[in-house]
Amino acid sequence: MDNVMLKSKDVTLLEILDRVLDKGVVVSGDIVISVADVDLVYVGLKVLLSSVEAMERLRGAPFAGAGEEPT
Amino acid sequence: MKIYTYGVIDSNSGIEDSNKGIEGAHVHNIPYRDIGIAVSDLDERYKKNVNPDHILKHEEVAERLMERFTVLPMKFFTIFKNKEEILSMMSEYYDSFNENLDRLRGKLEFGLKVIWSGNTIKKRIAENNTGQGQSELLSNGSLAQNYVMEKFEKYKTDRQFKEEGHKYISTVNRFFSGFAVEEKLNMLKSEGLLLTASYLVEKAKQDDFKQAFERLKKNGPNDLKYLFSGPWPPYNFINLTKSEFKKV
Repeated sequence: MDNVMLKSKDVTLLEILDRVLDKGVVVSGDIVISVADVDLVYVGLKVLLSSVEAMERLRGAPFAGAGEEPT
Repeated sequence: MKIYTYGVIDSNSGIEDSNKGIEGAHVHNIPYRDIGIAVSDLDERYKKNVNPDHILKHEEVAERLMERFTVLPMKFFTIFKNKEEILSMMSEYYDSFNENLDRLRGKLEFGLKVIWSGNTIKKRIAENNTGQGQSELLSNGSLAQNYVMEKFEKYKTDRQFKEEGHKYISTVNRFFSGFAVEEKLNMLKSEGLLLTASYLVEKAKQDDFKQAFERLKKNGPNDLKYLFSGPWPPYNFINLTKSEFKKV
């Protein structure tokens, strides 16, 4: 297997998402207006899907195991 | 008009950042005692417009701040109604912010994801465990016996799978020992993702840390793949304790 240091936008986004969505300074209470869940799901899903594709390309094979493939 | 927050910084003076923040708004500092918080104005329409570019922009501003200050990056899209509410929050968390700023001063975060062929390894372990005993049991054992046996086989496989993972992780992590001040390791978030690690590294040692990764690529296990990233603002190393959250 080749080892890689990636700089692609998808993986960068995945790494950023890993951090900014639930890490960092998290303050709670009614003074904070949170974004509607729907919006965040939209952002997360869209980015995550493309990131998974990027990681699959990187890995050279789909993440799903043989046992999970339709027969 | 709301206020979007990027990060708490160890400065109460102007940040003179000519670059723009979310939606092209000017980024400025709201001072509180000897610290401050980098913010920009946000139009009310933000709810309709949240997109991946905002995430990149949030991070970009935090990284620009990181070049000049110690920064505690805010969680994405933490928004306040007005300046008074921001100052109230700063007052509530002031001690905790200061503790974190002191602890994280001069330090950066690096990320490492380690990918392995989890499926193949698990399959191999399961095959070694099962052998021919399983088929005998299926034909001779009762339903209950077979059920228990299957459960036990699965438990054994899972345990050995994790042990195998631990061996790899300990080999990988050895390359970084001595270069990181703190580390957070998450094992097997999914079958293929062996390790998700965050390392807190002194700025002065970041080149040493990067070289450690180069050595890992060269001399580490050759059946692993790596995603190495950073330097990041220290998202994973901010500790705000629960008691400090409360304001009665």
